[in-house]
Amino acid sequence: MNGFIAAGIIGISLGAQYALLALGFTLMFGILGVINFAHGAFYVVGGYFTYAAVSWLGLPFPAAVIVAVLLAGALGYVFELVVLEPVIQDYLATLMLTLGFHLILTTAILVIFGPESPHFEFPVSGAIRGEGFYIPYANLIVLAISALAIGAIYLIMHRTDFGRALRALADDRAVAAAQGIHPRRLFPLAFAVATVLAALTGALVTPMLALAPNLGESVLTTSFMIVILGGLGSIGGATIAAFVVGIVEAYSSVYLGGSQGALALFIIVLVILVVRPRGLFGSEFVGH
Amino acid sequence: MTAVAEDRFPRADWELRIENISKNFGGLQLFRDLSFVLDAGNIMGVIGPNGAGKTTLINVICGQLPLSSGKIYLGKRDVTGLPPHTLSRLGLVRSFQQTNTFKLATVRENLMRAMRFAGSGPDTWNLIDDLLDAYELKARLDEVSDSLPYGLQKMLGLLLAYVTKPKVLLLDEPAAGLEQRERGNVDRLVMHAQENIGCSILIIEHDMELIRRLCPHIIVLDAGNVLAAGAPDEVLSTRSVIDAYVGRSDDDD
Amino acid sequence: MGAFVARIGRAELACIVLSVLAFSVPFLTHDRLFYSISNQIMIAVIAAFSVFIMLRMNLISFAVPAFMAIGGYAAAIAARNGLTDVFALMAIAFAFPALVALPLGALVLRLRGVYFVLVTYILSEILQLFLFETPGLTGGSNGIAGIPAATFFGISLGRYEYVLLTTAGILLLATVITAATTRYYGQQFSAIEENEVLAQSLGLVVWRYKVIGFVIAGGVAGLGGYALVTMLLTAHPSSFSSFSGVSYITYAIVGGRTSILGPVVGSTILVWASNLFSSQAQYSQGLFGVLIVFVIFAAKGGIVGTAEYWLKRWLRKRSDPGAGDDLAPVGRSKDAA
Repeated sequence: MNGFIAAGIIGISLGAQYALLALGFTLMFGILGVINFAHGAFYVVGGYFTYAAVSWLGLPFPAAVIVAVLLAGALGYVFELVVLEPVIQDYLATLMLTLGFHLILTTAILVIFGPESPHFEFPVSGAIRGEGFYIPYANLIVLAISALAIGAIYLIMHRTDFGRALRALADDRAVAAAQGIHPRRLFPLAFAVATVLAALTGALVTPMLALAPNLGESVLTTSFMIVILGGLGSIGGATIAAFVVGIVEAYSSVYLGGSQGALALFIIVLVILVVRPRGLFGSEFVGH
Repeated sequence: MTAVAEDRFPRADWELRIENISKNFGGLQLFRDLSFVLDAGNIMGVIGPNGAGKTTLINVICGQLPLSSGKIYLGKRDVTGLPPHTLSRLGLVRSFQQTNTFKLATVRENLMRAMRFAGSGPDTWNLIDDLLDAYELKARLDEVSDSLPYGLQKMLGLLLAYVTKPKVLLLDEPAAGLEQRERGNVDRLVMHAQENIGCSILIIEHDMELIRRLCPHIIVLDAGNVLAAGAPDEVLSTRSVIDAYVGRSDDDD
Repeated sequence: MGAFVARIGRAELACIVLSVLAFSVPFLTHDRLFYSISNQIMIAVIAAFSVFIMLRMNLISFAVPAFMAIGGYAAAIAARNGLTDVFALMAIAFAFPALVALPLGALVLRLRGVYFVLVTYILSEILQLFLFETPGLTGGSNGIAGIPAATFFGISLGRYEYVLLTTAGILLLATVITAATTRYYGQQFSAIEENEVLAQSLGLVVWRYKVIGFVIAGGVAGLGGYALVTMLLTAHPSSFSSFSGVSYITYAIVGGRTSILGPVVGSTILVWASNLFSSQAQYSQGLFGVLIVFVIFAAKGGIVGTAEYWLKRWLRKRSDPGAGDDLAPVGRSKDAA
């Protein structure tokens, strides 16, 4: 039974990572109505910036993470302000611009760092070992940091004016505008927050798993799936869905193996999208 | 005020009945237990301070937003929850507050599309012939809608709703953005509709003069409820209505 | 004659003429490289047409590779089971993805455009996994090799030149279908693209036309998949990756979304360029990214749209040198007020 619990714990830590990842994405979609195709690219950028800060600048890992994440956030802020703002009302143009940015970022990483995975390790090694189970300390640390970050986001969303305004925006852009909440000023900041979350996830997870320029796409797909399951635009829903996906994935890779689990998950997501587009917890603005 | 036209038109089912509708959005309650009736062939005005939910009301009646509760009847038929295109085909049509035309298409194409989508038949051109003259749109039929001056674009938007030959026509701030001298165009359309189609008309407006001119009956919306109802002069001199407007920044141009 | 051209549309006619001209390639040269590039371009055009049909309604479909796979594999499986008539195979390649698109579209196209994007994206991921996980049907990671040549009224189309002719034939069919669809439903598609809310409020059953477009776009993509499978003589998952979906979208947008010539121009230029720089293939996605951003930002009509604008301006200046500079850039007018 220990293996079962271990898989469960891995699942939870995976879930926390996914939650962090999905949070940024759902903020974008729920609040700005924007599908951010560059989300996966920011994850990769977070990983590479951290790697660069550690290897080239010699910074200790925690400092490197902070520097990398802030830089990525700045990048996101500027991108939104300069490139997206003029066309933010046009969902197609916004989508294409984020897609274009994803392609540009990925290629830039490829050009600067080369196609091979660099040697990038989590600074803390070792694990909790026991009868038939094995939980690396890294997973636990990332779990803790993810939990903190998620908590911070909840605080921001529910206790600050900024967060309240964002939530009102998510409820109905038109109504909020009529009440004098001005969307435009908040967008670059909101985008920057989403970028920071993606980059943070990348900074923490890539040293544990893998760092390569082309990871962005699978990260993006995972984010899509979680956000759809949990309800596009629902932060609570995305968090719960993230843990569900993490746990399911942990167990299915142990007990099922192969991509059958992934296929099943995708099909479930597709079914949900067409049958109940607001997912498990999403809001009602789907129809119009 | 023009009396309701004699029964030249099959108007039995051209009544719009709103029964106890409520609309919540997130934590916001936009209206609660709102009820009113637009009698067949009548013209009714809806006024109220900004933020009172007037545009949301139209959005909800026309199926763009779902109701939280309540019912809407077109004549005897329960039309609650039907999608916009179905409502439009049933004769419940609206105009939009922002100029809403097909900007890249010519005036002629705009009108043709409206007639085609509504299935109103080619003789509709005859119907609006004198209006096109009056608005000086006849000479500009082949101009791209986006190149028209704002006032004309607005009138084109109203015409688009009109050529669907509606049974109930909802006008969302038809005069918004129009210059004083252009506002008579709205009167002209409303008169034309009364004489030629006899549809029921609901007008949401801020322009009190226009409301006084055209609507024999008005309701006042405030904080999501009907504050007062009746003839314009009566209603506008009621204490509570005046209070509702005081202190609100109300751009009455 | 003039009325005929007006009915079909100049751009549409040009595309049909171009695809007829494509038949001449095997007669003009035997250069293998030229064949290969021409074949790739033709297939890319078909795929870009599929993107274009939905783009006309302001929708982006990431599912083109998925529908290409369905069409290509269906034809491959049919051919392996003895059905080699090229017309029958084209019909199968069209019908299978169209049938998949119908229920999917019916469910999803009632919602906002963003949901459509997500669904098509997920669909293409599902297809990839499905191809790998069903070796019994699709050959899994090996795909289906050794597909027998198609036959045209009994004549085998196996020779290399005939492969190109087959692709040209498929292209012609795809062009006619795309032109016919976008012309016939032109007013409805344009109305949906320009102002969906208005169109719906006037009584247009927007959802219905979106589904029609999606089904036909699926079928056209299937034709492209069949052409791809014919060119490679194999049906393999790597031909239908999600990145190829991004490429097709790029061809359509960079070429120009306002005209049916757009996908043709975009595919021709970008496929040719990719071949030119094939040694630096991994940078091509960066180039696509830059092009996409540039077009969206500065040249909304893409290459064809921008060319049309400048052409109109030049023609105007020629006929009336004193004319004001009031021409709408790619359809957008300055306010005369």
